[in-house]
Amino acid sequence: MGRNGPSVHWPLFKAMLREEWRLHKSFVGAVGSGFFPVVIFLFSFVLAATSPVLLRKLDMSLVLLVLHLSAVLYGLGVGALAQIGEQVMTRRLGSVNMLLQLPVLQPVSFRSMMGIFYVKDAVFYILYSIIPLVGGIAAAIPVTKITPAGAGLLFVTVLITFMMGMALSFLLSALMLRSKAAAGALALFVVALVLLVRPLGVLVPGQVLLPLGYWETHDILYLLSGTALALLLSAAAVLLMKERFAPPERRYASALLDTEKRFTFSGGLSTLVAKEWLELRRSGALGPVFTGFLGPLLGIYAVIWIFRSGLGMPLEFNVVFYGGILGFLGLMTYSWLTNIEPNEFLNVQPVGVDQVVRAKLVLYFLLTTPVSLVYLVVIGILNREYAYLPLAALVGLSTMVYVAAVTGRMTGLRANTMLFDAAVLGRFSAAIVPPLIVCTLASFMLRTAFWPASAVLAALSAGLLVASGRLLAGIGPRWARSPFGI
Amino acid sequence: MSVIEAEKLTRKFGDFEALKGVSLSVEKGEFFGLLGPNGAGKTTLVRILTGQLEPSSGKASTMGTGPEDPIGIKRKIGIVPEAESPPTFLTAREFLELVCRIRQVPDAGSKVAHWLDFFQISEKKDVLCRDLSKGQRQKVMLAAAFIHEPELLILDEPFINLDPIFQKRLREYLWSVTASGRTVFMCSHILEIVEKLCTRVAVINQGRIVAQGKLDEIRQNEGEGLEDIFMRLVEGDGENGGEGRKGS
Repeated sequence: MGRNGPSVHWPLFKAMLREEWRLHKSFVGAVGSGFFPVVIFLFSFVLAATSPVLLRKLDMSLVLLVLHLSAVLYGLGVGALAQIGEQVMTRRLGSVNMLLQLPVLQPVSFRSMMGIFYVKDAVFYILYSIIPLVGGIAAAIPVTKITPAGAGLLFVTVLITFMMGMALSFLLSALMLRSKAAAGALALFVVALVLLVRPLGVLVPGQVLLPLGYWETHDILYLLSGTALALLLSAAAVLLMKERFAPPERRYASALLDTEKRFTFSGGLSTLVAKEWLELRRSGALGPVFTGFLGPLLGIYAVIWIFRSGLGMPLEFNVVFYGGILGFLGLMTYSWLTNIEPNEFLNVQPVGVDQVVRAKLVLYFLLTTPVSLVYLVVIGILNREYAYLPLAALVGLSTMVYVAAVTGRMTGLRANTMLFDAAVLGRFSAAIVPPLIVCTLASFMLRTAFWPASAVLAALSAGLLVASGRLLAGIGPRWARSPFGI
Repeated sequence: MSVIEAEKLTRKFGDFEALKGVSLSVEKGEFFGLLGPNGAGKTTLVRILTGQLEPSSGKASTMGTGPEDPIGIKRKIGIVPEAESPPTFLTAREFLELVCRIRQVPDAGSKVAHWLDFFQISEKKDVLCRDLSKGQRQKVMLAAAFIHEPELLILDEPFINLDPIFQKRLREYLWSVTASGRTVFMCSHILEIVEKLCTRVAVINQGRIVAQGKLDEIRQNEGEGLEDIFMRLVEGDGENGGEGRKGS
């Protein structure tokens, strides 16, 4: 399509944007899809409106750092488009067919289509998330000291930061299709840059997150160079896209029956657990599943460490607190597990969705429990809180079981899409947030009132386990007659 | 003895009524063909009969089991869905082994080998299903439906993506199935195959059965072929719907 101009690109862009919206609607319905930006808007409005109180304790530079860090991570999360492109072109995206597939039969170049697809995704996520986020902050202008110019500037810097993350992710995914070594080298380079900021302190955050540099220096060059970098990286990613994909043929010696023997402890689910395990390994999702769980755990420890050591804030987060948040972070892991295979072939076999949900939960516990226990032991040792470790393990395991049971019961095999549905998200939050608050407050009380706090935590854990039993039993009635598929 | 019974089945999707009071029965040992133009309601009917979808009203029974027990229905029958969709990250052999484990098929190893050999995909048995061609994926889906030798096969466009050699092989196998007293219920657009294979047919149009019976019974003139019958029913008075023409 190199010879085609805007007369073709513009209609394709509009059609792709419609396709993206319809895809979202097909997951959670029009109301659920439309409500998501509203939830983001309200969330950021509440945070901004309460900022005069929050900012008494927090430094503004730290708030800006967290905001821009979130934007770049969000961009990284949604930008791995080259992998999606390759899967669409080689017809490996389940039953979903997309406009991106047009170059298979029509005289349009895949490179151009990927460029339009990238712009479409950027526009969609800006409209869907970034504008509501900054809009919420702007709406708080009358009740805070935030100025319209400040909100506008924040929109610009967050937008450029998001685009930098998205472009980097797109480039990494495009490089992966050409050379895994080159992609690894680029990833290492980015990690090295991060390490130069923390803990080495050679660079300041604004020298890596360029738009943040504007807030530090008020030099417009940071905004221009951030924009140029985002454009450069995304252009490089588009140019790296191949026009044709050779049909792959990956072979594996039969491993289902041997793998099944390893999971005999799961009883009647062993065949399905083995299937899930093989799919997890072969899809390449094992790494993201681990990093998706371990990353936030390390991230939270790092943030608290920065608050405590770097900023000198006397925060009393003990190992029991970490135990409490373990389960709540496990949600990402379960979500990943439900995103690997649509399982449409099981619609014609005597297997219910509920059985596959249970098999995924078994795998979820097998993956997360060892990581969680090691994490707690390491933190217990680092904090010298050996006496708290049994309690932390109990709280950690019970919250993990509880959150997994809530997620499985409420979302079945559609965790990553149904949680975009505002109604489901509301029910999910109502089930998850109160125990998390009780757990956090009780963990803070441990130092001053050990036995009462321990009793509260033990009772909470027992309550969560009982509730989990009921929720797990409810998975059958809720999901047994649902169809498989996305 | 009826293996499939449907009585006044309706199915709505929002305001759209895909099935409008469908009634039919299929006897044990029959080779039954369901014909209809695109969007006539064939796949909706198949999905209800195979426990994949609940009817809005009416009664259905497949091998004596109703749509309220979908797992029970699926356990008793073999199904080939309209679109081939074997698992993305399992090999062809592993998929068939999985089906054997789910259905507790005895002597699974030799049965897997037999069906891989029957469809001449032994060479590809260790290839991930996602990397197989469409025809190979269809063969894997057919093997998965046949491997437990069910009493009833419900096949939605089973000949799609198969080359003429395998169309012939599949025809011969399906003949042998009904010859042994088992039943085949098949949807197909390939009228020539339906005419050759089916002992009884039903034609569905706009959600209604407009004719059902043996070919001789729904034929108006001597020498009228299935294509003529089909065109007459679908293009002619298809919109009349209701009971349509009934054979035996």
